[in-house]
Amino acid sequence: MMKSTAKQLDTAANWPPQEGQLISLKSSAASETATLKEVRWGLVWRDFILEDGRVIPEHRISGCPLPQAWRKISEVTDQEREECEERLLSMAGAGMDPRKRDQSFWAELNQYLAYTYLRFKPAGSKVQDQDKE
Amino acid sequence: MSRSDDEPDELQVWRVLSEAGLVEIRLDEFAERIRDVKRIVTGRLRDLLDFNNRVQERESAAYSLGTLKGLELKVQANAPKPPDPPKI
Repeated sequence: MMKSTAKQLDTAANWPPQEGQLISLKSSAASETATLKEVRWGLVWRDFILEDGRVIPEHRISGCPLPQAWRKISEVTDQEREECEERLLSMAGAGMDPRKRDQSFWAELNQYLAYTYLRFKPAGSKVQDQDKE
Repeated sequence: MSRSDDEPDELQVWRVLSEAGLVEIRLDEFAERIRDVKRIVTGRLRDLLDFNNRVQERESAAYSLGTLKGLELKVQANAPKPPDPPKI
């Protein structure tokens, strides 16, 4: 138990992993290890981009500290949102592979839907900055 | 030992998104999730029509709705075709 807690603290201190590091993850197909190319913030959470181009959300990476650091919707600028919308429409126009869930289009679309939901969902349940004027 | 003040918010956001099925969307669920979010944006847009001073938010919601519509059409057009039923 003590060891487990110490390991968790160590993991949190060294999170996220470095570029080029071998990471364990749960892809859409199976559990596996892969080389990390880049960690990138999306509109809500961090995405881990693998060397082979697949995009895996942080919560599917083994050892990810809980709770994950997610952005507040007020942190996303209008420009960032608009760029994301343009990018998604452009990627959709170029065609997406309906069988490859870990493709960047699906990863970005997932985050855009989560972000848009949080932004416009009916008031009532108190979620970050929803009712900020 | 005090935890971050943000922790309850983060957990709450996770719960809200999970309940809406928006944390892990399966490939065959995207079209439906887009429709769900479109409904939310449409509802918000309807509310905003009652306010004269929230033009920017209204325009932004309308733009998002247009984006969602465009994405919905593309996703539907790219949906994998179900196999043909066996001929009897």
